[in-house]
Amino acid sequence: MNTHILIKKMKKLLYILSVFLILSSCKKDDVYELNEVNATSYNANKDKLKSSNQFISILYANLFQEALSANELFEISRCIQSIGDKEVAHEIVFSNFMNKNGVIIPSDSLMRDNLDLFIEDTYKRFFVRDITEAEREFFISFFESHPNVSAEMVYMAFALSNEYQYY
Amino acid sequence: MKRREFIKKTAIGGAALSVPFILPSGRLFASSGSRMADHVVFVAFAGGVRQQESVLQQYLDGSQDYPSAGNIMYNLLDGSVPTDKLVYGTNNANNENIPIPKLLSQTLQQQGTLFREVNASTVGHYAGVNTLLTGNYMYSQGLRAKPLMPTIFEYLRRHTGEKATKCWFVGNGIGNSIPLLDYSEHDNYGSQYGANFLAPTITFGEDGEKHLKNAKIYHPDDELDPMYKMKYFLDNVWYSQGNALPSIGNTVEEKAEIKQFVKDMFVKKENGTIAFPPTAANNDGQTIGYACEVMKRFKPTLTVVYLSNVDGCHSNFTSYLQSLHSADHAVGHLWDYIQNNIPGMAGNTSIIIAPEHGRNLEPNNIKDANAFFGYDHSDSNARRIFNLMAGPGIDSNLTIGSETNGVGDIVNITPTIAEILGFKQEVINSGYVYNNNSFFDLI
Repeated sequence: MNTHILIKKMKKLLYILSVFLILSSCKKDDVYELNEVNATSYNANKDKLKSSNQFISILYANLFQEALSANELFEISRCIQSIGDKEVAHEIVFSNFMNKNGVIIPSDSLMRDNLDLFIEDTYKRFFVRDITEAEREFFISFFESHPNVSAEMVYMAFALSNEYQYY
Repeated sequence: MKRREFIKKTAIGGAALSVPFILPSGRLFASSGSRMADHVVFVAFAGGVRQQESVLQQYLDGSQDYPSAGNIMYNLLDGSVPTDKLVYGTNNANNENIPIPKLLSQTLQQQGTLFREVNASTVGHYAGVNTLLTGNYMYSQGLRAKPLMPTIFEYLRRHTGEKATKCWFVGNGIGNSIPLLDYSEHDNYGSQYGANFLAPTITFGEDGEKHLKNAKIYHPDDELDPMYKMKYFLDNVWYSQGNALPSIGNTVEEKAEIKQFVKDMFVKKENGTIAFPPTAANNDGQTIGYACEVMKRFKPTLTVVYLSNVDGCHSNFTSYLQSLHSADHAVGHLWDYIQNNIPGMAGNTSIIIAPEHGRNLEPNNIKDANAFFGYDHSDSNARRIFNLMAGPGIDSNLTIGSETNGVGDIVNITPTIAEILGFKQEVINSGYVYNNNSFFDLI
């Protein structure tokens, strides 16, 4: 093979290589200009039913931000067992909590000041998950059409809900 | 009218008449039988009772080798009272033991039918009450587990469409897994046909005073309605995940009634106006008092009352005799209260009384303060019980069977309740009872 042919082939190879390098180096990444969000899954993987004792102590800690004593836990558990309809029993026990001093609950004016933040926080506080857009839309619209709904009523609804019985 | 039009209208009319009734329970047809009474009160009496101290009226003669016999249940049974070594009453200020005065002018035995010797093949409290309520011996049934077979509550609600508040189970306490008996885990029945359970000595006792009494009663329209709407939304979203909790199906109105009842009972308790028996020293008496209040408020179609104080017999025979005597007094009061204070139920209620099991023939080694031996429930004598029933359509002053000729079985009670309330055939058709005979079939 003579030198001329070799140089020609080398030129051709260099040309192909340079075209490849130009094409591959100019790839542009998509940028959507949105912040990344780490969302918990829709049901937060809850598939276990809380025991009666777990349920009461978690709710108490949620509302009062302190632990329930073992004696009180035992007594409340007996009260709940003494009434067959658990929804009724829970409602009576929770509303009894609401009548006590020390429940940590946002004021109604604070709730109304920023409904969006209130309902987001309530979902995290009770359900340990993020609110979905459908849920947000329901609650914002519900709060706007029910101006007398208080933070206590919302907390009661969440505490009595079935999802709150699971972890 | 033209022939074609006549035929068309007749066909539509006939079809309309034959359209089944759709009950609230979702069941298509009303129960097939006619009712003997509109209400039944069944007293599971009273925690394991020996035949010797009840229908056989042997008092201390049949248990402690002391020659004193007689009847200490004189509201339920005929028979003269013991005259020697009285320990079954209540002690007065001078520490004299005084029997509780008789309440009923006519014993329930005179007013109804007594099966003197009935078999009960289960001799545990939970298993016994389970059998009383299901009409089935569930030998594989575990403790701390819901009944495997449908309860009488579920038969009643499913086959007659009764509301939840027409079906009550009032128990003395929450021990022995008793609260689990409000409904079964049977696939064809279950929670939606269950009874409203109440253990009033706890609900309205010290624990309830502390944790239930101060409950808020929310305004039904302004507060409860939006609260329930939010809960309904949350539950619907959760239900889409396939998770639902058992519910006995009280409507919003029924729940409100129950909450109001609880609130009112605390007020009545404070005012001293609960319908307690004249002597209600123990929890059985208290339980009967609150059962009277439940009946007055809700006028249930079926009320089951579980008494259990006589279970002290394991270690305190004297207390057992006192509890037996008190339970007789409490049941006498219950019957008297229905007839004189609940117009909607007077003359239209049947009562059935039966222990969940008997107690042993031979004592254990535990002596009480009177040096009386206690009795457990594990031998063949513990399989002996009685059954007493009275009310509209039930023969009065009739006694069936004897100590040597037993008639009836504990599993006959469920069909008996069903027969009185007109749905016995549906219970039989279900195929889940041990025996299809009611006590009426054995007369």
